Amino acid sequence: MAIDILQVLLLILIAPLVRGVVARLKARIQNRRGASIFRPYSDLAKLFRKEDMVPSTASFIFRLAPMALFAVTVIAAAFFPVLRGSALLGTTGDFFILVYLFALGRFLLMLGAMDGGSSFGGMGASREALVSTLAEVPLLLALVALGMVSHTASIAKMVLWTTGQDFFQLSAVHALALAAMVLAAIAETGRIPVDNPTTHLELTMIHEAMILEYSGPSLALIEWASAVKLTGLMALLIGLFFPWGIAAAFSLPMLILALVLWIAKLGALAIALALVECSVAKLRMYLVPDFLGVASALAILAVVFTALMR
Amino acid sequence: MILLLVLFIPLAAALLVLSFRDPRMVAGSALVAGALEVVAIGIAAWNIHLKGVVQAGRYLRADGLTSFFLINLGLITALVLIYSAGYMRHVPEGRFSSLRWFYALVFFFLFTMVAVYLSANLGMMWICVEATTLASALLVGFYNTEGSVEAGWKYLVVCTVGIAFALFGTIVFYLAAVKGGVGSESALDWSSLMNAASGLAAKHDLLKLAFVFVAIGYGTKIGFVPMHSWLPDAHAEAPSPISAMLSAVLLNCALYALLRFDAIISHAIGGWFSHTLLLIFGGFSVTVASLLMIVQRDLKRLLAYSSIEHLGIVAIGIGVGGSLGLFGALLHTFNHSIAKTLLFFTAGNVRENLGTLRMERIRGMARSLPWTGGALVLGTLALAGLPPFGLFVSEFMIFMAAFSATHYFIAFLMLAAISVVFGALLYHFQHMLTGEAERPAARTGLRVFEFATIAICAACLLALGLHIPAALTALLRGALAVIQ
Amino acid sequence: MGLFETEAAKALASSAVFLFMTVLLIAAAKRISTCIVMFSAQSVVLVLQVLAVAHMRHSKEAYAVAGLVLIVKAAAIPYALFRIVDALKAPHDVSASTTSSQSVFIAAGLILLSFFAVQPYAGVLGVDEAMLAAAVALVLAGGFLMVSRKKALMQVVGLLVLDNGIFLAALATTFGMPLVIEIGVVFDLLMGVFLMGLFVFRIRDTFEHLDVSKLRRLRG
Repeated sequence: MAIDILQVLLLILIAPLVRGVVARLKARIQNRRGASIFRPYSDLAKLFRKEDMVPSTASFIFRLAPMALFAVTVIAAAFFPVLRGSALLGTTGDFFILVYLFALGRFLLMLGAMDGGSSFGGMGASREALVSTLAEVPLLLALVALGMVSHTASIAKMVLWTTGQDFFQLSAVHALALAAMVLAAIAETGRIPVDNPTTHLELTMIHEAMILEYSGPSLALIEWASAVKLTGLMALLIGLFFPWGIAAAFSLPMLILALVLWIAKLGALAIALALVECSVAKLRMYLVPDFLGVASALAILAVVFTALMR
Repeated sequence: MILLLVLFIPLAAALLVLSFRDPRMVAGSALVAGALEVVAIGIAAWNIHLKGVVQAGRYLRADGLTSFFLINLGLITALVLIYSAGYMRHVPEGRFSSLRWFYALVFFFLFTMVAVYLSANLGMMWICVEATTLASALLVGFYNTEGSVEAGWKYLVVCTVGIAFALFGTIVFYLAAVKGGVGSESALDWSSLMNAASGLAAKHDLLKLAFVFVAIGYGTKIGFVPMHSWLPDAHAEAPSPISAMLSAVLLNCALYALLRFDAIISHAIGGWFSHTLLLIFGGFSVTVASLLMIVQRDLKRLLAYSSIEHLGIVAIGIGVGGSLGLFGALLHTFNHSIAKTLLFFTAGNVRENLGTLRMERIRGMARSLPWTGGALVLGTLALAGLPPFGLFVSEFMIFMAAFSATHYFIAFLMLAAISVVFGALLYHFQHMLTGEAERPAARTGLRVFEFATIAICAACLLALGLHIPAALTALLRGALAVIQ
Repeated sequence: MGLFETEAAKALASSAVFLFMTVLLIAAAKRISTCIVMFSAQSVVLVLQVLAVAHMRHSKEAYAVAGLVLIVKAAAIPYALFRIVDALKAPHDVSASTTSSQSVFIAAGLILLSFFAVQPYAGVLGVDEAMLAAAVALVLAGGFLMVSRKKALMQVVGLLVLDNGIFLAALATTFGMPLVIEIGVVFDLLMGVFLMGLFVFRIRDTFEHLDVSKLRRLRG
């Protein structure tokens, strides 16, 4: 129980660091020096000290949305197993809850963006609606496929099942689900090639357009929530596909080992993300449905394969 | 020893021709090499007649079937080389498109075809059939025009895909042989497979699967419908002597490969499956080809579709089986190759004199080009299967075999197709021969070499129609003995 | 030695997964260079499979075949194709007649089809169903590439993928054919690619484009 609470806190606290590391890696790859990896922390601290500027036409939704989004994302973080094969809120069927928590958070953000009154908010909200609708299918189906293969309906139990598998016996279902989930995760977290998290050009913003009107603590909460979402999805990928090394028992050395391994895997994923972001160009908006269609095809094939590769 | 000579003379000739620059030296050396090759083939055939089977190492083997097809190859090659010496005098310069490359490629092509005939090993045979595609692709695209390039590309791609299926069939054959108890080193050796044929009977599923793929694969090279899409383009766009080679000997080469497989299967599980498949392919080929011949507008395309039709008749001949059917089929390949060579040479002459091969633009040939027109009439009558030409005899044999094996439907189909072909050919050529010539011919009539080669073809056809010479009969009987 | 053999057998069985992934990726690819890289990856997987077979059956011939396939299919042919792409100076676009996601759906359907096609034969032939299904899937995917991609070079890539499938079918059912035959087949393929490259240049020079769907002069 305590470990599970520790897992949630770990996810929340390490999230800005992950973002900082990815940004620094991208800078290095692009031959720049880049900011310190702890920069997001100082950004958050700076934003919390500043004042919240609210448009005069906004209603209570505008002020409520960031707090609700952060709360929803923290609850979602409680479903991911990190150090042990269990999560704080893990229950049967929790992957459905997870996907819909993400959807709820997004919905709140879209409402807040539209409430802000600027045209950028509306545009960002409509684009986000398109992308997220299409990204939900591969994410859900990939999780369903993994659940069918492991005969469980809980993410924590899927992780435990995977640890019991032989590493060399590749499973087609896992390969396809991994591919589908990576593509869906890129869309969910708004990274290149679906969305550029550092742009402010009208043609290329999706997530940034929605948060354009926010400032001060509200912006801090939104940025933190997005970082937690990124770290959470990375933890999900690690847990579902490469979970070997998680602590089987309560002993301290095993937990430390699990933590170290988890940090290493997170680092590897961060490097991979930085490499992909630097080598691929962002897709134009009309090609994003095609991209997510590929993810859906892979996820559907993963589900069909659960029946074939017995 | 003689087999090695037959195999490597063309290769040496190809390399020799490439080393010359002067066109007369090139043509002269090509003719000499061709003559040498024909002599070597004759000696090899005589050896085979004396000894039955000649083997050289593990991969070269020649028996009665080989000698029959080799004689065919030698005859047509000699005619083609004589014709090319005069026809291919002005060649567009380009990469791989000079005169010495023409002869070099012809000899490479010849080398690969001889290798197919001399293969003892089914895998080797596959490799050589694929090599014939590669060797002739540049010849098809020789003129470098839009049509030639398109035809060459289509030929290369379609035939390579088809042959890949034949490879899969060969693999399944190998598997069937290995599982049927033949040792893995000799599981692709044709004579070992023939000897162990009864042992393969247990694996009839695999054999049938293998034969389907082999029939589709090699059938693509033979030009069976529906895998024929490359054939009209390739045969129409190639230079006329090459078209003659493609239609006359390459199709026979692929048929030879199919015959080898058919022999093994017939000995193992009986001929019902393979022959039915051949009848289906043959039936489709004659029907579709004869119908499409009516709407053709280009002379060489018309002749290409006629090739498809005649190879369909050959397939029917093999399909109805029995000594008579097989004899008729083999004889028909021989007759058809001579007739097709004659017609393609005439088409080349038409192209030279009138500058076009579009039949609607050709009129009044009877008056402006009497000798060419006469050759065309002769060839048409022969191709339509009329007596006293050789094709009548072979087609009649196939008919008789079909009736005696009670394949009435297929016999009727063949008869209908031949009638349609006769009508189509008559319609097209009557249009070309009668009426007023639109423009005066650039040159009148045939030149010496053309006249000589066409006359030889005509004489052969007449002779074969009246009486099959004993030598040919002996060859055919030898071939039959191998397969049966 | 025994440990590696079981690992080799397991690796062989799971390598079919990699081949399915390459089929899907090659269907989704939008640039010619991606397709060539995928073909090279497929060939590498095939080489690993041949090595596993060689290890399991202690066959020296199989090692030679593995080396041959590595040099020719994984290195020489992709290098030649990249040189052709550079020399053509044509746009790198694949000119597909179906969108990326449609192609992946079709490729997924082909993979399922190959599984169904292979089921009645897997028992008869005594082979691993996944490997044979991968072989059929490669053949079908190669055919699909040739039909749906309009660039002439993509037809060459499709043909190479098809040939990979047939090679895998040979490997799965008979654990390889005699060495001489394998050498001959690979050499034929190499010459075929060389000639097709030549023809691609000729198409470009005569037609000024590389779109085979526009080669429709000869019809009927």
